[in-house]
Amino acid sequence: MEKLLNEISTCCQPAYDISCDINIEINIPSNLQRCSSLHFPNITESDLLRHFTNLSRNNYALSTTFYPLGSCTMKHNPLISEQVARHYRFNQIHPYQDELTIQGNLEIMYKLEQDLCAISGMDYFTLQPAAGAHGELTGLLIIAKYFETIKQKRTTVIIPDSAHGTNPSSAMLAGFNVITLDSTHDGQINIDKLKQLLNENVAAIMLTVPNTLGVFEKNILTITELAHNNGTIMYYDGANLNAIVGIIKPGDLGFDIMHINLHKTFAAPHGGGGPGSGPVGVKKFLEPFLPIPRIINNKTHFVFNYEKHQSIGKIKAFFGNFPVILKSYVYIKLLGAEGLINSTKQAVLNANYMLAKLRDNIDVPGGHKCLHEFVLSLKSILKNGVKTVDVAKRLLDYGYYAPTIYFPLIVEESIMMEPTETESKQTLDKFIEIFKIIIFKEMLDESDKIKCAPHTTIVRRLDEVIAARNPVLRW
Amino acid sequence: MDYTSKNKTEQNDMLKTIGINCIKDLFVNIPRNLVLNKLNICHGNTEQEILTHLHNVAKKNKILISFRGAGIYDHYIPALVKEIVNRSEFRTSYTPYQAEASQGTLQAIFEYQSLICALTDLDVSNASLYDGATAVVEAILMSIRYKKTKKILISEALNPEYIKVIITYFKHLEVDLIFLETTNGIIDNNTLLNKLDDNTTAVVIQSPNYFGLIENMKSLCYWTKKFNSLFIAVVNPLSLGVFCTPGEYNADIAVGENQGLGSPMSFGGTTCGFIVTKKSLAWRLPGRIVGQTKDIKGERGFVLTMQSREQHIRRVNATSNICTNASLNALASCVFLSGWGSKGFKKLAEVNIAKAKYTFKQIKSLNGFSSKFGDQTFFNEFVIKTTKDINKINKILLYNNILGPLNLSNANANAKLKNCMLFCVTEQRTKSEIDSLIEILKTI
Ligand SMILES: Cc1ncc(COP(=O)(O)O)c(C=O)c1O
Repeated sequence: MEKLLNEISTCCQPAYDISCDINIEINIPSNLQRCSSLHFPNITESDLLRHFTNLSRNNYALSTTFYPLGSCTMKHNPLISEQVARHYRFNQIHPYQDELTIQGNLEIMYKLEQDLCAISGMDYFTLQPAAGAHGELTGLLIIAKYFETIKQKRTTVIIPDSAHGTNPSSAMLAGFNVITLDSTHDGQINIDKLKQLLNENVAAIMLTVPNTLGVFEKNILTITELAHNNGTIMYYDGANLNAIVGIIKPGDLGFDIMHINLHKTFAAPHGGGGPGSGPVGVKKFLEPFLPIPRIINNKTHFVFNYEKHQSIGKIKAFFGNFPVILKSYVYIKLLGAEGLINSTKQAVLNANYMLAKLRDNIDVPGGHKCLHEFVLSLKSILKNGVKTVDVAKRLLDYGYYAPTIYFPLIVEESIMMEPTETESKQTLDKFIEIFKIIIFKEMLDESDKIKCAPHTTIVRRLDEVIAARNPVLRW
Repeated sequence: MDYTSKNKTEQNDMLKTIGINCIKDLFVNIPRNLVLNKLNICHGNTEQEILTHLHNVAKKNKILISFRGAGIYDHYIPALVKEIVNRSEFRTSYTPYQAEASQGTLQAIFEYQSLICALTDLDVSNASLYDGATAVVEAILMSIRYKKTKKILISEALNPEYIKVIITYFKHLEVDLIFLETTNGIIDNNTLLNKLDDNTTAVVIQSPNYFGLIENMKSLCYWTKKFNSLFIAVVNPLSLGVFCTPGEYNADIAVGENQGLGSPMSFGGTTCGFIVTKKSLAWRLPGRIVGQTKDIKGERGFVLTMQSREQHIRRVNATSNICTNASLNALASCVFLSGWGSKGFKKLAEVNIAKAKYTFKQIKSLNGFSSKFGDQTFFNEFVIKTTKDINKINKILLYNNILGPLNLSNANANAKLKNCMLFCVTEQRTKSEIDSLIEILKTI
């Protein structure tokens, strides 16, 4: 295990230095000065380089291994996007430069908004939100503002129990009460229950399509119709958009508003937990409420428009996570219509192929067909005290990152696999072979080996209970 | 082009395994009549074509010598920072759900949290938030849940972008947002005392404030505490090399923007907010937190911890809805903060002050230019009042490839800042750049 920075600190010359070509007394009044001593480490550039390089090697990453983390769409991130995003003409731009000096950035944002409209069937997009959950909140605030404007008091949002945790927590933050809708045994929306819950108080229904079991919502058109007849807005959580790009548009299914995770479907890398970008798209009637500023094309050039009196306001300082936006712009330009459509097909093919190789021996609550990902329930095959988490940890020993486990909450001992389109058949075959060895062989013969996995990682199984009970959160 | 890898034979094998004849059959559950026959997106491009296109687009942006800040700053980024954040092992991993296979990211965040604590003299930092603006929002949410009241006093000298975001987040939640007026650019004790009462949830003060001025945080915090309200300090992390820290003046929560610590300006994003608090409020923090633990052999390791605060477990009752945050920028800040040493970091802050002060002195001695707020202490930004046309000044500066000061004339409803402009001078500006700015201003 790599030492901590404070442990490698010496009294050497630190890595960076600064000079000043101006000689001036700075004279800070003593009551405003820092009196405490600053405990920063002193480490040379070469030692720091080793430290952080070694740390990086303690990560499994998409660039080192198969990363079938369901719901996260860990597809290959084209390298050219990185190169472009590092270009100084994009990087060294201040957000408050005159519009005429940022036409390149504005053009990219404007065109990405248009491409996202074409892909989603929405009429307008904002690129301001910084991640999916931030997009959800933006969308819900737009919905709240809409009802306020048409003078209807609607206070609840319906969210299925299969939804991601950010959905209910965003709804709460937007000031709504959440009604949880129980799914049917195969993860679909229960239409009868939905009918019972729908009343004049329901502002929106938030759905993930395909749902978090990776299955298309078979009654989706009925659902959107029911909602619209009730004056309720349909919200689309775009985390699973990778399943349908170029095949069908959420807008055509009757969704009124949605967010997209650029760091999933549109190949911006996730950075170990962000930065992301969560653009929000709306149908025309919700456009007045989008965050300001809007970018408009006034024929000769692009300009900001702050004059939108019904807007929810700003949801983030400045305009959005531009480098992430740029990477997705590049991605769409690289692939084009054919590439995007083919990617969707291959993503769905890969997932179904994996599922086909596993479905005969393992419970699949969503059924034997899926879209871009699928969820298995290991409950009925777990033996000798092995749990799903143990299986996940054992996969690490074979060099794979583990699929998502224990989500969605509606499936017991769930394991959710999303191969994405950029994995080869060989990779999938090898992974399935190993997965089967673990659950059908090792679980019977060597269950202890699974239960105390991983064995080959930089650290062995870590104790999360101690960590939470006795938090040590800094050196 | 795309990044899929199968040939026809493989694809047919796979279809056979699935038990279908063609790719189309994969989508049978989707309403037939809605399946697209065309996607209205241009044809794909090769890498080379993309580069040519993007270089042409990039040319439409203008690179300027920046004397503008107001929340996003042109600071030097050491080569090491770029080297590390560009490592694909960091860049292409997800949130570290599988701890044993993510020790790189986890330890780096733990180090980041430690450095933020050391910098602010507070106890517990989270892994990062979207930006400085949403960090203030999260701090206010923490205070509302803790105090169970909804009256927030906010300095009007808080960055206006942040104020706008706060209003968006809170206007529908029946939170009482009361703005404190400045006196000569800063918040006076009496202004605060006039508004403080036992019902006050929290007081939000930025220092250096929007005008670059250093507030008297010690006394503002002292009075806030007298009323048992929480004190939320919004700080520029770089300034803490020199100025009094949130821990020293006993703030409950400190928040701010990490962009200046190793991330490029990038048009105001990607940003990265920090939030750090006292031990007693740790369980109320939003978002990811990394903790130290042991593995089954007793070796040290790191995990995401205190997760029962978070959306994936608590759902509607979570402390925040945040999931993806700004991990890679936090890594940049970590590498940035770890390379200066204590003295070097202090010197970096001092160089900012020295250069800003030099510029300030030169400008206010020019005809038609004066200091708006007298000789108050500032960090690397200051406000100048002028008798000249600010738009014209900026036009001329732009012609000389200089991004001039931000025009504050319309920034304040009651015309307090008429004819005022906000300059920023960081360590990046050389003496000769500053001197040519002065020369140009002389001629206007
Ligand atoms: C279904 C679903 N919804 C929402 C989110 C939240 O997105 P983000 O992490 O970008 O905030 C996720 C992310 O994991 C998700 O899988």
